[in-house]
Amino acid sequence: MKIVLYSGGGEKENRFLNKRALELTGADVPKLTFIPSSSYDAEEDFKFFVDEFSKLGVQRFMHFCVDTPFTKTLLNEVLKSDLIFLGGGNTFYFLKHLKKNKMFDHFKKFLKRGGVLCGLSAGAIVLTPHVHTASFPHFDRDENPWDMKNLSAMRLVNFEFFPHYKNSKRYDAELLHHSKKSMLPLYACPDGGGIIIEKDQLSFCGKGHVFFQGKKFTISSYLG
Amino acid sequence: MGNTKLKESRPSKDTNPYAKFKEIDGSHPLKKSVPEAVVEYQVRTRHGGQVAFFNFDLAREIGLIPENHPNELTKELKEEILNTFSIVIINEYDLMNNFNFPKDEIRPNTFMATRYLQLQHPCKKGTTSGDGRSIWNGQISKGGKTWDVSSCGTGATKLSPACNINKKFYQTGDPTVSYGCGYSEKDEGLSSLFFSEVLAKNGLETERVLGIIEFQKGLAINIRVHDNLLRPSHMFNHLKQNNLPTLKRMVDYYIERQAKNKVWKNVPTDNKTVYDYFLNQIMDTFAEMAANFEDQYIFCWLDWDGDNILMDGGIIDYGSVRQFGLYHHEYRYDDVERWSTSIKEQKQKARYIVQTFAQIVDYIKNEKKKSIDDFKNHHSIQSFEKRFFDYKNRNILRKIGFTSKYAEFLLENCRKDIEDFRDDFTYFEMAKSVKGPQKVPDGINWNAIFCMRDILRELPQIFLSRGLNGRVSEVEFLDVIKSSYATKADLKRSLRRDLKIRSFQKNYIKLINKVAAKFKIAPEKVLLDISMRSSVINKYDRVTGDSITTIVQKVMNQRPKLTAEEIMVVLKEFTDYQNLNPDKDRKPSNFETEKEQSRLVKGMLQIVREFRDGI
Repeated sequence: MKIVLYSGGGEKENRFLNKRALELTGADVPKLTFIPSSSYDAEEDFKFFVDEFSKLGVQRFMHFCVDTPFTKTLLNEVLKSDLIFLGGGNTFYFLKHLKKNKMFDHFKKFLKRGGVLCGLSAGAIVLTPHVHTASFPHFDRDENPWDMKNLSAMRLVNFEFFPHYKNSKRYDAELLHHSKKSMLPLYACPDGGGIIIEKDQLSFCGKGHVFFQGKKFTISSYLG
Repeated sequence: MGNTKLKESRPSKDTNPYAKFKEIDGSHPLKKSVPEAVVEYQVRTRHGGQVAFFNFDLAREIGLIPENHPNELTKELKEEILNTFSIVIINEYDLMNNFNFPKDEIRPNTFMATRYLQLQHPCKKGTTSGDGRSIWNGQISKGGKTWDVSSCGTGATKLSPACNINKKFYQTGDPTVSYGCGYSEKDEGLSSLFFSEVLAKNGLETERVLGIIEFQKGLAINIRVHDNLLRPSHMFNHLKQNNLPTLKRMVDYYIERQAKNKVWKNVPTDNKTVYDYFLNQIMDTFAEMAANFEDQYIFCWLDWDGDNILMDGGIIDYGSVRQFGLYHHEYRYDDVERWSTSIKEQKQKARYIVQTFAQIVDYIKNEKKKSIDDFKNHHSIQSFEKRFFDYKNRNILRKIGFTSKYAEFLLENCRKDIEDFRDDFTYFEMAKSVKGPQKVPDGINWNAIFCMRDILRELPQIFLSRGLNGRVSEVEFLDVIKSSYATKADLKRSLRRDLKIRSFQKNYIKLINKVAAKFKIAPEKVLLDISMRSSVINKYDRVTGDSITTIVQKVMNQRPKLTAEEIMVVLKEFTDYQNLNPDKDRKPSNFETEKEQSRLVKGMLQIVREFRDGI
């Protein structure tokens, strides 16, 4: 299983993770698909996605929205990609449409056949067991106007992920509070950082932290 | 001296930021240039109005408010808008009945209703027809450009169809007649607003809504602006009446205005060639307009009277305007007494308008009116045909997603290849449902079944993924192109359809390869570029006429009621989203821009999606 979780940030900050993700594909001429969290102005995000990965030599790109109807033909083509990248945005909205279109099963099969699945921010949270981390801290959380109750997600990893982490007291207070109630470790990464998972091996990019049972630990060994 | 000038040009602190409103006082050069073309009315203040909407962006553009004016409807601005535009004419009915209006409410200047030809009038020469419920407020200029300003819903004029069919003058607001009562409604203004702003953002010429003043019972004065509000019908009436002097002055007025506004460049000054120039400009404008309407699925009910369209091909009177999601070329609007033209008949109507202008120019030059039939094969008609297909070729390249540079090369060097592709494209675009003609709420339609935007958006991606030799199978092609109107029977394969599917792809790739070879770049690079541009141009959700109607209802029913400023915010958000220009400025992104739209705009986008294949 090859998964890359991105916290967020600009293209330069994520260059290391992007390169690593491409290496994981093992393809000489990799095919990449960008799936935005929402189709609203997604063409612009796709353009920037293409700009960034073109610099790394990629030429074959697809763009696929899950919140507008799509054809079987295009979905099949997407699933033939070497790398699928789930964009950021509103986690609840993204989750709602991924579930509605039964995308989890497709992604699991995609991973099984060797594809690399990447997610940035909301796109990373949906790969974890549930999306609770999108609901806090109270000063920087995703809106859930759909009042989604079932927050279970793809369960591809057995930890929680917290993107855009800032090493500050007010973040820590809420993350520590959450970790007391959770059975799973919560990895928090700053922008530009992330987690690379290859054959159950986790490696970190950037200075990450883990919150577990009311305690905070700093991850001392990291790449990039 | 120099210092004095500097002082004068610097605005003092107490300069009235709304001084330009004073210029809109009913004065307009047409009154003097062609007095027979207008009916002048005295106007008085109409009380009870509220500013429901004000287009701050447009007001800044035309210089009505200062550049740095915030999008805020201040008390002073509200007063200026109401004082300038909340007016009603003192019409023939009022005068006959000796109504006494307070003198201080009667404005010093008269305001004009213009005369033009209208097919729904009993007199087919345009002696009695024109602005039935509108008056022209005047003009406004900024930076050497002048805009006309008119208002709809300002009272019943003697030029309305009701007045002439029933041979009586109507009191403004008479509930026994609808259109003839001289009032207009708020939903008409909002429909025009949302529709025109979307089309304007996408580069089409159109009237635009400056403001809406609402009154009780859903009534409104809808203020509109364009750089020239004359229609062909403003000239056709004088032609029909064989009134050469008036016709000539009207044409001269139009030419002078286009030159002054720098819309037309290098306008000849000698009498011999200026009218040929005029005809050539009209021919080209209407060829481009007809091609654009056809390719963007804009239904505008063009007809022989030259009403419903502006001289520069701009859209006016959104009541009968629609944008279809598919090429519903059999749709006809049921106007009780007659059926409208269909979208594919618009080209013939545009050509007939050009033919009529050829007749006008000949009449002016030779002072003798010939039959319209004498101009059937006029050189301007031949030019129209050629230019129409030139524009169709340009449009299809744009739709595919080629940049201007690539399109220019193909247009100059590969006309046959473009036409081959356009032929395949048209085959699918024209395909209709086996169900046959169906009644729709306001007319009749025979549903188109294929969504060409979908195939143009997805095909480059699939080619990019599979490589240029990896063709899309017939089943896959139909899977992508089918619309919500297509039934199982509509999607049946046939030998001809299969051949067309293959030909479509072959000719598409041919165009890609031609560009790649010419500019010495990999075909995949061209395809990638096209793929990104096409995803914007052929966006999944593009507005249709039905979606605009539903959106306007949503805005009207919003509680609490939206303020003028809130409508502006919603409008901007909505029209930005509907801007399908791939070259528009982009915000920096890290693939996770938070797209926080208001709940109302989210609802609007949902409506656009639901109606995206419709009429």
